[in-house]
Amino acid sequence: MANEAVRKPKGAQAKPKAQKKASKRPDWLAVGSFDLPFLILTLVILTIGLVMLFSASYTDAYYNRHGDSAFYFKRQLIFAVVGIATMLGVSKIKYDYFRIAAVFAMPITWVLLIIVLIIPPYFKDFHRWIYIGNFTFQPSEIAKLAIVMVCAWAFEKNRKKIIGKTENKSAFSKLVSDLSGGRIVVYDSFVQLVIYGGIIIITAGLIYLENHVSGTLLLLAIGVVMLFLGEFKKHWFIIIAVVAVVGIIFVITNPSILEKYAGARITAWLDKDYQPLGARWQTNNSLYAIGSGGLFGVGLGNSKQKHLYVSEPQNDFIFSIVCEELGFVGAVIIIALFALLVWRGVVIGIHAKDRFGALLSMGIVFQVGLQTALNIGVVTDTLPNTGISLPFFSYGGTSLLMLLGEMGMVLAVSRYSRLKKS
Amino acid sequence: MKTGSSKGLALRSSIALFILIAAFLTCVGSLVRVALVHGEEYKLKAEKNQLLDTTISAERGTIYDSNMNVLAKSASAWLIYIVPSKIENDTQRDLVVEILSSTLSLDAESVREKTMRESNYIKIAGEVEEEQKDEIKKFISEHGKEKLSNIIGIDPDTKRYYPYSSFASSIIGFVNTDDEGTLGVELTYNGELTGVSGRIVTAKNARQKKMASEYETTYEAQQGANLVLTIDEVVQYYLEQSLDQAIIDTGCKYAYGIIMDVDTGAILAMTSKPDFDLNNPNVISNKLVADKISEILDEEEKKTETLNARFAQWRNRTVSDTYEPGSVFKTVVVSAALEENVVDLNTTYTCVGGIQVANNYQKCWRHGGHGTETLTQGLMNSCNPFFITIGQKLGKDKFFKYFEAFGFTEKTGIDVPAEANPVANVTYHALESMGISELSSSSFGQTFQVSPIQMVTAISAIANGGKLMTPYVVDSMLDSDGNVIKKTQPVVRRQVISEKTASTVADMMEAVVSKGTGKNAYVAGYHVAGKTGTSEKIGKEGAYIASFAGFAPANNPRIAILIAIDEPAGAHGGGVVAAPIAGQILEKVLTYLNVEPQYEDNEMANISSTAPALIGKTLQEARSMTAGYTLKIVGKGDKVIAQSPAADSQIRTGGVIVLYTEEQYEKQTAIVPDLTNMTMSQANSAAVNAGFNIRFSGTTNETEVMSYKQSLEANTEAELGSVITVYFRTTVNVQDA
Repeated sequence: MANEAVRKPKGAQAKPKAQKKASKRPDWLAVGSFDLPFLILTLVILTIGLVMLFSASYTDAYYNRHGDSAFYFKRQLIFAVVGIATMLGVSKIKYDYFRIAAVFAMPITWVLLIIVLIIPPYFKDFHRWIYIGNFTFQPSEIAKLAIVMVCAWAFEKNRKKIIGKTENKSAFSKLVSDLSGGRIVVYDSFVQLVIYGGIIIITAGLIYLENHVSGTLLLLAIGVVMLFLGEFKKHWFIIIAVVAVVGIIFVITNPSILEKYAGARITAWLDKDYQPLGARWQTNNSLYAIGSGGLFGVGLGNSKQKHLYVSEPQNDFIFSIVCEELGFVGAVIIIALFALLVWRGVVIGIHAKDRFGALLSMGIVFQVGLQTALNIGVVTDTLPNTGISLPFFSYGGTSLLMLLGEMGMVLAVSRYSRLKKS
Repeated sequence: MKTGSSKGLALRSSIALFILIAAFLTCVGSLVRVALVHGEEYKLKAEKNQLLDTTISAERGTIYDSNMNVLAKSASAWLIYIVPSKIENDTQRDLVVEILSSTLSLDAESVREKTMRESNYIKIAGEVEEEQKDEIKKFISEHGKEKLSNIIGIDPDTKRYYPYSSFASSIIGFVNTDDEGTLGVELTYNGELTGVSGRIVTAKNARQKKMASEYETTYEAQQGANLVLTIDEVVQYYLEQSLDQAIIDTGCKYAYGIIMDVDTGAILAMTSKPDFDLNNPNVISNKLVADKISEILDEEEKKTETLNARFAQWRNRTVSDTYEPGSVFKTVVVSAALEENVVDLNTTYTCVGGIQVANNYQKCWRHGGHGTETLTQGLMNSCNPFFITIGQKLGKDKFFKYFEAFGFTEKTGIDVPAEANPVANVTYHALESMGISELSSSSFGQTFQVSPIQMVTAISAIANGGKLMTPYVVDSMLDSDGNVIKKTQPVVRRQVISEKTASTVADMMEAVVSKGTGKNAYVAGYHVAGKTGTSEKIGKEGAYIASFAGFAPANNPRIAILIAIDEPAGAHGGGVVAAPIAGQILEKVLTYLNVEPQYEDNEMANISSTAPALIGKTLQEARSMTAGYTLKIVGKGDKVIAQSPAADSQIRTGGVIVLYTEEQYEKQTAIVPDLTNMTMSQANSAAVNAGFNIRFSGTTNETEVMSYKQSLEANTEAELGSVITVYFRTTVNVQDA
């Protein structure tokens, strides 16, 4: 299938020049120009993110890193530079090759997710990080991309089975059919749902074992989005929605079934006066920061809440400092930029030359969008305090590197997109 | 397979995008809620956390006397506290107890008890001196391992110093541990003295540490105002010294006195003895009382008695207490009667030793009566029957009119706290309830009470031509740079009597001192006017208050004085007990105030002349310049190198002058003779025979005077030629009631 896609003619928009060049190039090198608006949006958000990271982090760095105010910024900047290079590099790759990666992505992810459970935890009881020297990364970050890639690959390959009404021919399905006297017919679409739903649940389950509830939920959400984009039958999503709502209500009413810290966070979210363990410290100070910012903010660099009130202001709660310094107006502009980025990614996807590219592009941008929405939800106390970072803003080198790599993938898809190039 | 999108994917992705945008809009909605709707509320909470509000305490103002001597001043000190909850082991506890109890001289057990309490803050001591604080700090750093710095805390504090200790204590007052005035002008002017504390509002980080100074706003402290009192240190000293002596001499319970500037109402001196040390107001200054209390075994009773004794010594009796003014009040009655033309100077009365008032026969103090006497003689004799008839002639309406006019029904408004509040039918007879008996007894100053400050204010009104002033002790307020913020303007409350009446009464009062019951207050050349008073204390048989109130000089009054001797042990007549004290004080104060004495002819004989300047003169010249003096020449030189007494010293003609004629001379000394209980001529010859000069003080124009006091102590050694001031008084015809 992959070869078939590669061999496909470029279509009306492809420029003859590019075709000529392509013939001289190695096979893996992509042809055509990428989507400039998407790149610009990425760079704009990244730039704002870096500036805000510097502003938000220098206090924490000053107090906790022996007065080196630029401690976090310097590291993030290095990763951003490497990340941009990676992004541009990835965008050059003919994205059909990502299919190959997709095949291996899932087993590799699972291996990493199991390794992280075996090695001693990096921090307290949290098995989230794999560390080599000073270098750390979260396998769950890789899992998110792996799920998108696997689904994109599989849902392209098995599209007919998914949207069609063919019966499953496997021995097991026949047995079920026979045993039920023909009353139960196992369709291929159901089998596909079970396989990929299962992959998603297994991956999520492994992440849950890391003691990482937010990562689990995010992965499930991305999985559901992929299933939805994969055009599985609508009624499944009604069932998923019902299960999700019931599950959420159950967890909210019985927070104790979760791990201690996660349960406490839900309790702290429900009870705004919850005191123990300083559970609301971070959230309250986040609200104070946003409130202090008001409509237009206190000005870049002028946040007071970042002076150790909002703990680790460079991480998950960076958006509260953004709100304090740039105000409501600045925050809304940033949200709008994220919305535009997602929209552009979706547009690239819709016009992608094949279903893999479409699902890959959309999956990646929806992942970014979901993460953004969940992060802001937490910062504004609309959702319980989970541990979701804000893409392009929060501190984290490997995660930024991965994110920019993913953007590179979208750009790679855009090269073959039937978009009107501006 | 169609490339890229299908309609299905386009639809699905649009739905997903739509849901995501909805999620983003929810985020925006949340931001509206947090940033805009509840923004202010959160902002306030944030600021509450972020701001470090440090108080800059305003330094309490200084109190000066009228000559800018410091009477009260604040200085920085330290407050020591402990955090018992931080004590982890007994080693720490022992160290804390050891250092605090030893440095601060505290009972170790009580400190230990404090370390046992479950608390995060227990004050151990305030007003700790720098030296002790340093000692504690050093100890803490020496025992760095034990982390005592977590347990022992040191905060800035202030301490109030009163350089003159007990001096003017009831006027100045003191401050409590919170630096708030609790007595005297410290209380009345607490607000002005305190100033307004400033604040430094600094942004702080969550570790309670200050952030950079750009976040800092300072509201400067407004330093407390400095007070300049009308109290003159010298005058106050004379008054206090004499009253301290009076307590010893008369064995009285209390002695109080006021000296007032008659024209302004400014108080130059005011005291109520025994008083207390302002630096240790809780210490009972009266040894007898303190000893008595220490003998009490019952703890509860001991506590009560200690408290009572403290309140007793803190009480400013000149302002807070009331007493029956007795005969002193006759000056007010005679002023009213003259003003209303009920009597004049030619009015006579024949005292037969008593008068019938309603059902009572009021006896005159003088058995057999005074016979026929003029109005002035009536006052000089302090004749009660005469004044009963004057009061009756005046009638209760007019009597009450003047009683009110002279300010006896209201507070004087003096700016010291706790002024006694006159209450109708309790401290005085209200007009409606005044019958003939009340009017009669009131006419000679009995059956009602006034405060000493009311009485001296009324006397001042007679002295200054009839103006009733508001007495005051604070002359002006200065800011910290010494600029005058506020200057007290004398307040004339009203014209009580005409100038003419006032001057007539002043003349009569001068006669009282020169020839009447007040002659022990006589000071040659100063024309003292006054009136003595003796009153039995209500409800206390045999307890008297002897008083003298007056002013000087009578022809141009400067100061008014009131001296009251409360419960003297022996003699209790105002003329015997109080008047001589007033005389001594007046002499010193008037001299200090540079009031030029004006001697009458008969006084000239007794006044001193001044010793001529003889140094550098030849013996020949010296002899010719000292005709009439007794010369004593020491040495073999022919020029005067030194002399005793010094040039311009006040000595009597015929006194002793010692001349030294050699460089290496030895001071010639002699034993001071006892010059008390002598007549004037006896004292004079005794002094001259011993080689000293004598100066007469007190009433000296009577043949019956006896010396009772001398300035140089008898039987001590003093240089030949020294001047001994000898005080005279009389016991004849100074009885008043």
